[in-house]
Amino acid sequence: MRCGDFKESYFEDEKIFQTFFVKFWLGVLCVFLVVLPLVGNDYVLYIANLIGIAIIGAVGLNLLTGCTGQISLGHAAFVGVGGYATAVLMTRYGVPFWFALPLAGGVAALVGLIIGIPSLRVKGLYLCIATLAAQFILEWIFVHWESVTQGIRGINVPPPQIGDLVFRTEKTFYYITLVVAVLGVGFARNILRTKWGRAFFAIRDRDLAAEMMGINLFRYKLVAFALSSFYAGIAGGLWVAFMKVVTPEHFPFGLSIEYLAMIIVGGLGSILGSIFGAIFMVMVPELLNVVTGATREIYPGLDQLFIPMKDVIFGSLIVLFLIFEPHGLAEMWHRLKSFFTLWPFSY
Amino acid sequence: MNWAEPVVVYGLLTMFVKVDFFRAVCRGLFAASIQEGTMDIIPQIIVSGLAVGGVYGLIALGFVLIYKATSILNLATGQFMTLGAFVCLSVLSYAAVPFPVALVVTLGFAALLGIIIERIILRPLIGEPIISVIMVTIGLASILKGLTQIIWSPDYRSFPQIFPPEPLDLHYAIVPSGLLWGFLFAMVCMVIFALTFQYTRTGLAMRATASNQQAALSMGISVKSVFALSWSLAAITAAVGGIIIGNISGISIHLGDIGLKVLSVIILGGLDSIVGAIVGGFIIGLLENFAGVYLDTLLGGGTKDVVPFVVLVIIIMIRPYGMFGKQIIERV
Amino acid sequence: MKRSAWLFVLPFVALGLTMAPATIPAIASETIKIGAVQPITGRFAFAGVNINAGLKDALMMANEAGGIDGKKIEYIMEDGQYKLDVATAAFKRIMSRDNPVIMYGESTGLGKAMAPEIASRYKILYSSTSFSSELANAAENPYIFVPGPTYADMFEILLNFIAKEKPGAKVAFFYSDTEFGKDPIPASREVCKKLKLDLVAESVAKVGDVDVTSQVLDLKRKNPDYVIFQGFVLSPVAAVIKQCRDFGMKTKFMGTFWGSTKMLLDQLGPLAEGYMGVNPYNYWWMEEIPMIKKIREYTKKNYKDVDYRPNSYMQGFVTGLIFVECLKRAAKEGPINGDSLVKALKSIKDMDTGGLTAPLTWHDNKFPVAKVWKANVEKKIFEPASDWIRIE
Repeated sequence: MRCGDFKESYFEDEKIFQTFFVKFWLGVLCVFLVVLPLVGNDYVLYIANLIGIAIIGAVGLNLLTGCTGQISLGHAAFVGVGGYATAVLMTRYGVPFWFALPLAGGVAALVGLIIGIPSLRVKGLYLCIATLAAQFILEWIFVHWESVTQGIRGINVPPPQIGDLVFRTEKTFYYITLVVAVLGVGFARNILRTKWGRAFFAIRDRDLAAEMMGINLFRYKLVAFALSSFYAGIAGGLWVAFMKVVTPEHFPFGLSIEYLAMIIVGGLGSILGSIFGAIFMVMVPELLNVVTGATREIYPGLDQLFIPMKDVIFGSLIVLFLIFEPHGLAEMWHRLKSFFTLWPFSY
Repeated sequence: MNWAEPVVVYGLLTMFVKVDFFRAVCRGLFAASIQEGTMDIIPQIIVSGLAVGGVYGLIALGFVLIYKATSILNLATGQFMTLGAFVCLSVLSYAAVPFPVALVVTLGFAALLGIIIERIILRPLIGEPIISVIMVTIGLASILKGLTQIIWSPDYRSFPQIFPPEPLDLHYAIVPSGLLWGFLFAMVCMVIFALTFQYTRTGLAMRATASNQQAALSMGISVKSVFALSWSLAAITAAVGGIIIGNISGISIHLGDIGLKVLSVIILGGLDSIVGAIVGGFIIGLLENFAGVYLDTLLGGGTKDVVPFVVLVIIIMIRPYGMFGKQIIERV
Repeated sequence: MKRSAWLFVLPFVALGLTMAPATIPAIASETIKIGAVQPITGRFAFAGVNINAGLKDALMMANEAGGIDGKKIEYIMEDGQYKLDVATAAFKRIMSRDNPVIMYGESTGLGKAMAPEIASRYKILYSSTSFSSELANAAENPYIFVPGPTYADMFEILLNFIAKEKPGAKVAFFYSDTEFGKDPIPASREVCKKLKLDLVAESVAKVGDVDVTSQVLDLKRKNPDYVIFQGFVLSPVAAVIKQCRDFGMKTKFMGTFWGSTKMLLDQLGPLAEGYMGVNPYNYWWMEEIPMIKKIREYTKKNYKDVDYRPNSYMQGFVTGLIFVECLKRAAKEGPINGDSLVKALKSIKDMDTGGLTAPLTWHDNKFPVAKVWKANVEKKIFEPASDWIRIE
C-alpha cells in the first residue's frame, strides 16, 4: 500500500487507475505505443503486431481459464473460426473488414457457446479433453469443408482499407492492432469489476458455493465461453487480415498450448498477466532466434544442436514457472513494484 | 528370430487371435455377402481394427496407470513413446545386440526416466490445481521433443526387421506382420500388467493407493514410491507402444503424435479402468477403420483421425466416466 | 532486488536485445545478400538440413570462384520450423534487417502466403523447397520460380510413361492431406482424361499415418495397375506397399520428387522391386558426372562426417546455381534488384549445370525437365528408366 493513499469511498477503491503515478506512467506508455511506428522498422512492428494479437487472444483465454476456471485446450480453434469467418465474409460476401471483424467475433462466440455446453456436465480433466477434441474436430472442418474454407489451400484476403488508406504494411496495420487491443483489454478489465466478473471468480473458486449464492452456473459458464471465444475470434480476424492469408496450418494444437502457456507464465486470472504473458511468449522465441543466429556465426556446426533447443527452453519455462512461480509474471511485477515503492525501507 | 519361437507365443497366438474360431465366424457371418460389392472387406476391417486397437489399448494403459495413482493426465505420453523407440533403435544399431536385450535396456531406461520425471517435475506440484499439472506435462512434452531431436536428429529412420515379415492369412482377412506382432506384443504386455496388478504386493499397494490415498498411507504404503512406480510403468508401456508403432511405420520425432488420439480410448473406457483401456482400444480401432472405409469417400478423407474425437465428445456428453470408469460425477 | 524480480526484467531485456540490431543502421557492405528460411527443425527438417547445405555450398563455391563481379555472396539463413507463423516471422525479419535481393523459402504454404506481398511489396527473386504449380505461375507471381518441373509436371511425366507402357491402364493417386499433397491432383485428373487413363481411386492419408488398412482396402477393391504417391516422404509409403503386396496385388508404385529418395529405398528393402520415381536431378552415386564429382570433393573437404547427400541436397544446389546464374546475368546488365533478376531468369536458356540436370531452359517460371527412375533393389539406388523428358 502506498503511503498517504487512503480510499474514502467504495468508488475510489474500485477505480482502475488509482493514483496519479499510475495515470502518468500509463500516459507515457500510450505515447510510446503511438510513436513506436515512427521509430521502429518493419521487423519491430511485425513483432508488435504479433504481440498485440496475442494479447487479445490471451486476455480472452484468461477470462475463461484464469477467471472462470474452465480449462480450454481448444483456444486456437476459436481463433481459427474467427479467422475463417473474417476471410469468408471479406472475400465471398464483400463485407468490409471493419464489419467483418466484429461479425467474426460473433461467429466464434456462437461456436464457443456450442463447445461450452459440455461444461455444464463436466469439469476439470473432462472439460479439458472435450475442448481438446473440439480443437481437432474444428481443425478437421477447416481442412475438409472445402466449399467454404477452400481446404488446405486457404483463402487470400485483401488488406483492410478506409477510402484510399490501405493498411497493407506492418506500420499501418499496427494502429488497427493497437486500437483493438486497447479496447479489448479495457473491456476485459472493466467486465471483471461487474456482476459478471464477480460471478466468474465465484465459479472458479467453488462452483457449488457459487450456485448456492444464486449464481446461475449454466448462464455464466456459457457467457464465459462466449466472451472468451469472441476475443479469440477477434484475434483470429486480425491475424488473418495481417497475414493476408488463412490456412488450416495457422491454428494447430500447438497454438492452443502457446496461449495456455501465455496465461500461465503471465498469471492466471490477471489481465495484466495476460499482457505480460503474451509479450513474453512472443519474445522468447525471437530472442532465442537471435542467440542461435549469433552462435551460428561462431560455431557453424552447432546449428542442428542449437535450433531444437528452442523446444527445450520453451518447455522448461513452462515447467519452471509452474513449479516456482505459479502466479506468473504479474506477481513478479507486483513484487518489483512494491520493492521500489518501499525502497529503501522494505520492512 | 529364435526368441519368438517359444511355445508361449504360439499359445498366445491361438488364444488371442483364435484362428480357427475366427475363420468359422467369418464364414458364418459373411459367406453370403462375400460377392456383394463392399461387404467382402468387412472381416478385413474388423481384423485390422482389432489389431490396431490392441496397440492403442497398450498406450492407453500408460495413461490409466498414471491417472489411477495420481489423478494426472500425462500429455507427454507421445514423447515417451518416441523416446522409447529411439533408445531401442540406438541400442539395436550401435550395440548390435539381439532385440530382447535391446528391449530390456529400453524398458530399464524408460523406468528410470519415469522415476526421475516424477521426482523432479511432478512431485513439487502435488496439491496444485489440475491445469498446472496438465500444463507441466505439456511443458515436459516440449522439452522431451527438443531433446530427442538434439540427440537423434530429425531424420526419419526405419526400424530393423525384428519380426518375421510374413502376414497372417486368416482366409477372409490378412493381418500384416507389423500389426500382427505389434498386437501380440501389446497383448502379452497387458496380460503381464494385469497379472502384476492383481496378484503382487506392489500391485496391491498401487490399487490401494488408487482407491484411497489417506487409507493407503495409514496402512504403511509409501504413496510416494507408488507414484514413482506408476510413472515408471507408464513410461514403460509408452516405450513399448513406441517400439511397436516404430516397427509398423518407421521412427521420427513425430511418432508420438498418436498419443493424443489415444485420449479418446481412455475416455471411452473410463479414465481409471484398465479393462476400459483395453476394450476402448479395440472399439476405437474398429470405429476408426470402419470410418476410414465407409466415410472417407463421402467426406473427402481424413475421417479416421477425427472420428475418435467425435466419439470422445459424444461420450463426454452422455457418459463422462466411460464404460467402466468409476462414477464420481458431481453435478452442478 | 529479489531474484524473481530479475526474472521479470529478463523478457524486456530480451526485447531490447532483439530490437537493437534492427535499429542500428546497416553498414553499407559490398556483399550480395541472399536470405533463406529453411525448415531446420520440425517435420521437414530431414530435408531442410540438406537443402540448406546444398544451397549454401553452391553459393560458397561461386564465392570461391571469384563471386559475382568481384562481390562476395552473403548467405543469411533462419529456421522456419516448417511452421507457417514462425517462417513468416523469419521471412519478415530477414527482409527488414538485411534486405536481400533473393529469398529462399521453406514450404508450399509459405510461398502461397507471401506471394501477394512478394509481388506487390518486396519485389525480390524468390524460390523455395516446393514444386507447387501455383507458385510457378508467371503471370501472377512474376518473382517466384520453381527449380525444376512442378509436381503437376512430374505427374504428367509419370502418366505419359504409363500411357506408353500400358495404354488405358487403371491408375490411382495416393496423396497426403496437405497443401503439398493436393497440389498436382486437379491438373493430373485432367491429364488422365487426356491420356485416356482410367483414374479408379484417390486415397488420402495423413503424413506419418500408422494404420493405412482402410486406404489399402480401397485400393484392393479398385485394383489399379499403377499407384502414384504424392506428398509423402517415408511413412506411410512403405506400409501401403507392404500391405498391398500382402494382399497379393501386382500394382506398380511410383512417386514424385520426394518419393524418389534413397531413404525410401532403404526402408522398402525388397519391396522396392519395380518402384519408380521422377526426379529432375542426378543422384550422388553417379560419380562420373562432373558436377557430382565436384560436390563430392567439396563435401569431403568441408564436411568430414558426411558420406552421402540425398536429392534434396541436389535441389538446394541447383537452386543455388540458378541464383548465381541470375546474379551474373543481372550484374552484366546493371544494378542488381528483383526486376533485373527476373529478367535474367527469363533469359536462361540451355544453362549448363555440369551434368547435374539436363541443360536448363526457363519456361513459365519453371524448368520442366526430369527423368523417370527405376529402383535397383540390390544396390538400393535409383537407375534412369528414361532420358530427360521435357514438358511444354
